[in-house]
Amino acid sequence: MRLLATLLLAIPLVAQDAPKPADASAQASPTQTAPAAAPASDTPSPDNWLQGSIELGYRWIPNIDGSLDTYRSVVDLGQGPKMLDADFTLLNPSKILFDRASVRATSWGGDPYNTLRVDIEKQDWYRLTADYRNIAYFNFLPSYADPTLATGSLLDQNAFDTRIRTLDIQLDLLPNKWITPYLGYGRNTQFGSGISVFTTDQNDYPVASIFSDQTSNYRGGVRIELGRFHFNVEQGGTTYKEDQGASDNVTNPGNFTGAFFGEQLPLSALDELYRVRGDSVYTKVLAAGNPCSWLNITGEYVYSRPSTDIDYTETSAGNFFLNRILQFYSLGQDMLTGDAAMPHSFGNITVEIRPAKRVRIVEHWDTDRYSNATSALLAENFLVAGMPLTDQQLSSDRLVLHENDEEVDVYYDLTSHLTLRGGYRFTWGDTEVRGPILAEEALEPGTLRRHVGIAGFNYRMTQKFRVTASAEGSPSDQTFFRTSLQQYEKARIRASYDILTNLRLAGDFSLLNNSNPDPSIKLDFKSRVESASLFWTPNAAKWANLLADYSRSAISSSILYLVPQTLSPTPSLYTENAHALTSLLGVKWFSVGGTMFISSGSRPTRYYQPVARFSLPLNKHIQWNTEWRWYSMKEAFYSFENFQSNQLTTSLRFTR
Amino acid sequence: MHNNHSNVRRVAAGIVVVSGLTISAAFAESPGYAGSETCKTCHEEIYNNLQKTPHFAIETGARPAWKQKSCESCHGPGAKHAESASADDIRNPGKLSAAEVDHTCLTCHLNQNTKGGRIASGHAKDQVGCTTCHSIHGANGAKLVEHAKAAINKTCSTCHLSQWASFNRPYKHRLPEGAMSCVDCHNPHASFADASMQKAFGNEPGCLQCHSDKRGPFVFEHAPVRLEGCTACHEPHGSANPRMLVRHEVRLVCLECHSNLPNPGLQNAKLGGVPPAFHNLLLPQFQNCTACHIKVHGSYVDRTLLR
Repeated sequence: MRLLATLLLAIPLVAQDAPKPADASAQASPTQTAPAAAPASDTPSPDNWLQGSIELGYRWIPNIDGSLDTYRSVVDLGQGPKMLDADFTLLNPSKILFDRASVRATSWGGDPYNTLRVDIEKQDWYRLTADYRNIAYFNFLPSYADPTLATGSLLDQNAFDTRIRTLDIQLDLLPNKWITPYLGYGRNTQFGSGISVFTTDQNDYPVASIFSDQTSNYRGGVRIELGRFHFNVEQGGTTYKEDQGASDNVTNPGNFTGAFFGEQLPLSALDELYRVRGDSVYTKVLAAGNPCSWLNITGEYVYSRPSTDIDYTETSAGNFFLNRILQFYSLGQDMLTGDAAMPHSFGNITVEIRPAKRVRIVEHWDTDRYSNATSALLAENFLVAGMPLTDQQLSSDRLVLHENDEEVDVYYDLTSHLTLRGGYRFTWGDTEVRGPILAEEALEPGTLRRHVGIAGFNYRMTQKFRVTASAEGSPSDQTFFRTSLQQYEKARIRASYDILTNLRLAGDFSLLNNSNPDPSIKLDFKSRVESASLFWTPNAAKWANLLADYSRSAISSSILYLVPQTLSPTPSLYTENAHALTSLLGVKWFSVGGTMFISSGSRPTRYYQPVARFSLPLNKHIQWNTEWRWYSMKEAFYSFENFQSNQLTTSLRFTR
Repeated sequence: MHNNHSNVRRVAAGIVVVSGLTISAAFAESPGYAGSETCKTCHEEIYNNLQKTPHFAIETGARPAWKQKSCESCHGPGAKHAESASADDIRNPGKLSAAEVDHTCLTCHLNQNTKGGRIASGHAKDQVGCTTCHSIHGANGAKLVEHAKAAINKTCSTCHLSQWASFNRPYKHRLPEGAMSCVDCHNPHASFADASMQKAFGNEPGCLQCHSDKRGPFVFEHAPVRLEGCTACHEPHGSANPRMLVRHEVRLVCLECHSNLPNPGLQNAKLGGVPPAFHNLLLPQFQNCTACHIKVHGSYVDRTLLR
C-alpha cells in the first residue's frame, strides 16, 4: 500500500511532463468558444495546473516515562521521519483520461494511522474515489482484564497488537446525467497477534493468539433521475473469512494456581484454530420524489442474507478437570462444524406534506426484521485415566427481532424566525433470544413498547443568532433490557451567536434521565453535559486568533444486582464528573494551547496534551513548522498505567 | 384492434415519460431569467468562486435545462433583480428557513443514496439546512464538499461541542489525530438509524464497516449486540474507561444486565437478567468477565461465549 501511495503521490510529477502544445491549445481554445463554456477550472494555466502542499518532517521522542504499554494503547506515536500531510489537486491540461485529480494523505511514515484519499474525475464521464486507511490497534491495559493483578503481575489477558486496514473504491459513470451507473469495492482486514484465554472447567490460561480476518464488499447499482422522481437500485455482496488461532507449547499454570482435589491444573500444549467463511448478498432499492409541490415521499427497502460456515478444532494437553463426569483428563480434542444464516429486511417510508405555507407534517415509518437460525455439531474426545471418552453435542440457536417505528412530526413556522415542532413516536417490537443456561426455556421472549412525546423549536433572530432545542420523554414499561431507555427524558439546547464577524460564541446543553422503578432493578441514570466555545479571528486571523472549548459532564448511574456469594442486592454505582478543555492561542507565528481532561468519580483520570507551535514562512512556497507536545495520563486507581512523554516534531511544508 | 390499443398505450407512455423529463426544462425556460453572465456583471467574485466548485457543471450543461443559468437554478429568476438591483427581487437561500433551503437543494440532490431520507433526518428535524455545512459559492477558499478529515471534523464540531469534547478523553476513536472523520460513522444527510449512524453492507450497523469481525452471524449471538447495538456497552466518542466502556470495570458492564436478580413481572420481563453462572465475584479470577468470556460479541463455538 505504501508503494501505491507513493505512486499516487507521484501522479503530479508524471503529469508535469504533459506536452506543452496541448497546454497551448487549451489556452487558445477558450477565446474561440462561448465564454460560459470556459471556466477557469477547465483551462489550467501553466501556473495553476498543480496546486497543493506536502509536509515532510521528523519526530523526536526523547522520553516515554511510565507504562509503555499504556502509552502505546492511548497514543502510540513513534519517532522517525514522517510525511505528515499531502494535499494535491491536479488539473490535467490535456484532459486526456481525466480532468481533475486530487490526492490527500496524512500521517505516513510509521505512524499508527495512515490515510489516503484519491478523487479522479472526468466531467460527465466518470468520477473515481478511493479511500484507504491503515490503523494500528494496540491495546494492552492490565486494568482491563487481568485476574492476576492482585499478585502484582501485570498481564492484560485480553490484549491486541493488530492492524485494521480499510479500502473503499467507487466508480460513478456518467455523473450528473439522468442515469448514473456505479460500481464499488470495499475491503476491511484485521490481522496481528495478541493474548486471549483458553478456558477449561476449573482453570483458564492466558495464551498467545493470532488474528486474521478479511471482509470484501462488492456492489453495483444505478441512480436514475426522472425530474420529480429519483430511484437508486443497488445490488451488493460480501465475502468474509476469518482464521484465528491460539497456541501454547510451554507449561502454563493458568490463573488458578492452587490445588484442585490435590492436583495442579496446568496446560502443557494447546492448538486452537477457527476457520470461518461467510458471504452475503444484499439488494437495496431507494425511491424519492416530490409528485406535487406540497408533497415529498421517500422510501427504502434493503434485504440482506449474511451467512457463515464454521470449522473449529482444538487440541489441548495437560491436567484438566471435566465437571460433567467429575474426573481429570490429560488430553482433549474438540471439533465443531456449524453454520448460521440471518435473513434481514429493513424498509421505511417517509412522507412530508405541506398543507399550508407555515405547516409541515412529516410521517415516518420503518421496520427492521431479522432472524438468525444456527446449528452446530461439536465432537469431543477426552483421554480420561488412559481411556478414550467421546461425546457429541448437536446444538442450535435462534435470535429473532421484529422492530417497528412510527413517528409523526408537525412543524409550524410561528414567525419567519421561529419554528415550533411537536411529535409522537411509537416504537414496538418483539424478540426471541437464547434462554439462560439454567432456565427451562430454550428461548427467552422480549417485548418493546415505547411511546415517546417530542417537542422542540428553532429560533433564528438573525443570521448571527440561532437557538435549537428539542426534548422527548417516554413513560414506557416494556423494554428489552434492564438498562434500556425506559422511563426517560431527554433534552438538548444548542445556540450560537456571532457577536462580531470575527467573534463567535456557541454553547450546548444536553440532559438524559432514565429510570426503571421496578424493585428488582431500581435503575436511576442521569447524564448532563454543558459545553461552550469561543472562536475569535480578528482581522481574518492574520495576527492573532483564539479558540477555546470547555465542556463539563456529569454522569451518575445506579442499578441493582445480586452478589452471588452473599445473595444480597447491591447497587452498581458509577459516577463521573469530567472537565474537558481545548484552547489554542495563536499570535503571528506562534501558538500555544492544548487539551486537558480531568475526571473524578469511579475512575479518576487526568489526561493532558499541552502543545506549542512555531510556523515560520521561509518564502512564498516553504513554511517551517515545529511543534512540541506533551502527553501525560494519570489514573488514581491504576497508577501502574500512568505515562508521560515529550515529543518534538519539525517539518517543512512545500506549497505550490 | 389489439395493435391499435398497444400503439395507444405506447404513445400515452411516451407522452408521460417525455412530459416528466421536460418538466424542469419547461420551468427553466419560463420568462424572467437573466442568465449567469448577467449575474456575473455585478457578482463577479461569487461567480469566479463558483467556477471552482462542482456546481459549475450546471453552467456548462450538466443539467441542460439550467445551462448558462447556474445562479438562477438556486436563486430563481433574476431578470427583475437585474433590472431593479433590489435584494427583495431575488431569492437568497442564505436568508431562507432550513426547510426552504432543503427544498431548493433537494430539487437536484434528492436521488443520491446518502440523501434519500433527508426529510426524516436529525438535521432536518433541528432545522439545519444544507447551507449550514456546505459553502455553495466556495467563498473564502471554503469547499462545497469537504473531503479532508480534519476539515469535516471542524465543521461538525462547530455545533456538536459536547461530542467533540469527548474526544479529549484517553480512550477514543482517533478523530483529533485525523485518522477518522465524523462522517465515517454518521451520515449527516440522512439516516434512519439512531444518531444518524451510517449503514454497512446494505442494512447493518455502520460500526461493522471497520469492525467486520463483529458482524457474524454467529452461531451463538450475544443479544444486546444485535438488539441495542454497540452503544449498549461502549461510548464510541470517547471514554475514561478502557475499550471505551460505559463503566469503569468490565464486570459491572456485564452485571447490570446479568444481575442474578429475579425478573420483573411477565410483561416487564428483561432479557439476560437471570444469571448465566454463579461465580464468586470476590475472586479476582471472576472479576474480569471477558478474561474467560472472550467472545463477548458473539461466538461461533460456545453458547457461554468462552471460545
